[in-house]
Amino acid sequence: MEQGIIKKADAGELIAVLGGKYIVYGPVKDDEGVSLSKVGDGEDITFEYSNFNLSPKGLFFPQSEVIYTYDDSVEAKESLPEERFIVFGIRPCDASALLRLDEVYKKSSPEDPYYIRRRENAVIISMACKKPCQTCFCTSVGEGPAAKAGADVIAFDLDDSLFLEACTKKGEQLLDIWSKLLQEPDSAVLESKQRQAASANGKVYALNSEGITQKLQKKFESPIWKEISQRCLSCGACTFICPTCHCFGINDEPCGSKNRRVRCWDACMFKEFGGEASGHNPRGMIDQRLRQRIMHKFLYTAENFGDVFCVGCGRCINRCPVNIDIREIITEGTQ
Amino acid sequence: MYSMEKIAAEIKESARDLISGKRVDLVIGYEKGSLALRSRPCFVSSVEDAGKLVWNSLCTNNLSVYLPRYVQKGPQKRKEDVKPVRVGIVAKGCDVRSIVGLVKEKQISRENVVIIRVPCRGVIDRAKVETQLKGNEVNEYKEDSSEILHLTTVAGEEKTFSKEQFLADACLECELAEPEDVDIRISGTAKQTFPNRYERVREFEAKSREERWQHFKKEISKCIRCNACRQACPNCFCKSCFAEQGKPRWVGAGTDLSNTMFYHIGRIFHQAGRCVECDACVRACPMGIDLRLFTQKMVKDVAEAFGYIAGLSAEEKPPLCEFGDADGQGLITTL
Repeated sequence: MEQGIIKKADAGELIAVLGGKYIVYGPVKDDEGVSLSKVGDGEDITFEYSNFNLSPKGLFFPQSEVIYTYDDSVEAKESLPEERFIVFGIRPCDASALLRLDEVYKKSSPEDPYYIRRRENAVIISMACKKPCQTCFCTSVGEGPAAKAGADVIAFDLDDSLFLEACTKKGEQLLDIWSKLLQEPDSAVLESKQRQAASANGKVYALNSEGITQKLQKKFESPIWKEISQRCLSCGACTFICPTCHCFGINDEPCGSKNRRVRCWDACMFKEFGGEASGHNPRGMIDQRLRQRIMHKFLYTAENFGDVFCVGCGRCINRCPVNIDIREIITEGTQ
Repeated sequence: MYSMEKIAAEIKESARDLISGKRVDLVIGYEKGSLALRSRPCFVSSVEDAGKLVWNSLCTNNLSVYLPRYVQKGPQKRKEDVKPVRVGIVAKGCDVRSIVGLVKEKQISRENVVIIRVPCRGVIDRAKVETQLKGNEVNEYKEDSSEILHLTTVAGEEKTFSKEQFLADACLECELAEPEDVDIRISGTAKQTFPNRYERVREFEAKSREERWQHFKKEISKCIRCNACRQACPNCFCKSCFAEQGKPRWVGAGTDLSNTMFYHIGRIFHQAGRCVECDACVRACPMGIDLRLFTQKMVKDVAEAFGYIAGLSAEEKPPLCEFGDADGQGLITTL
């Protein structure tokens, strides 16, 4: 099945009919607002949210992941994740960010079996944006409020109903499971979907990012890094909430009578990140670290994978304790 | 009458005088941010740039966190050829107390800092505005002399609120006592002390040990270990934080609850007798963790045991560096 429509009030049935074959993560109201959480029995998903505080990358690339445990014997026990899951309601920017992570962990060598298994086990249903936030700038980095990249199914919130459109084979198979619950959309529905997408598109903050990659090639020694980094606190908030930042560190830790090897998110904004065994730190200064983050997003990844690693979600703009605005850096960078 | 414009004009004037009179090399103040509800740190080193400086209820950052970067320290560095950077700094009451703390702990030398003290009437907690407006983002912010906020939403609606409604918790519990030792006083009256100080701490203390533990666990489990709380804190100036030391490894890098709790317990306890309750940590946290309750408990304990309030006098010895006959014995616990 390629597309279908269902009353929003009946959306819970979509989950019920899965019969527990998939775990569902979706927008659920909690103390902090709305977060992407496991949708339990009787819990309602909500459609009233702009975006989640945290990106969904943690579902595929967990913040800390035990790779294996070992004890006196050298035999290491490792286990691959088995659970099959549906991620419902992430925004198109975040869905597209998963394609960036694929470049690093799936398409590059060596492959990451943990990441790949989770990606294979998951179906992504993104939710097109009706009302972009002030901090959104997806259209300036090649994304859009109704873009399909990275989604298996894209959903449109059309007031009292939900329009679902398959974007991949996996998505079609999911809609097949739901075919009895879905109605064929009429032309009025398709039209209102188009209208919504166009209207949202026009509301996204637009900036000139033309040629950012080429221009950054000449900006390594630019004074802008020192200037912007005067404010920077060198915390890692921007990197941890970013849907495309993907660096990690490996740690060996005792765990009861055993030991374990844990992979944890790490970040170029942390001073220790670049530290070398000799004691030398090639990125000991904040401006060097800030430059690395920006260069990695807009230059190095563009050269290595053919795409910038920023999807314009605006989280870093919103959450930076000192209001460092990546849009201003892009603008500076394109001068 | 409390005129933001008048205060801003005085700040600009002071900055111009300091720079043109060669009394400082740099003034750290606030400028307009990239979002309607943000002002941000700003670094001014020329008379022309002083025009960028602003003052309003969004000037939340505790700028003293930047001082150790610029100010030449005493005993460790004796290179004759290093000329100290003299810094002028715009400071609210709590920020002045932070500066006193930094002087006391020998992170900066007082003679190289020019404190421009602004009469503070409390800053706005952005999250409170966001909650009140239920997802309607603010496009324009204005505040009049009777402390009424005029907020225009993205949709073009204008709404008015009293500033009091959105004051940060830190400001609602502000002690107001301030060190006398400042260099320039901007004219105006600061807000009066509030009577409900420690109310939330008392409520917390009244809970059972189990309830307190559960509350701590619940808050801390939101942590993503981005270190923003630490980086935003003027007291966290250690060159090497226990959280990252490898020999020995005090705390694991991951987000296991035990790691996260240990990090926070370490951070909070290191604030004993030092925290000035500026709430920089709370504002920096991208996850909205209520760190205030825990550090304030520390402040209250120190006040009760040693009659000591941090940051009031640079001469007074820190309570944990001195033994006094009158010291409370209550902290010695038996199980």
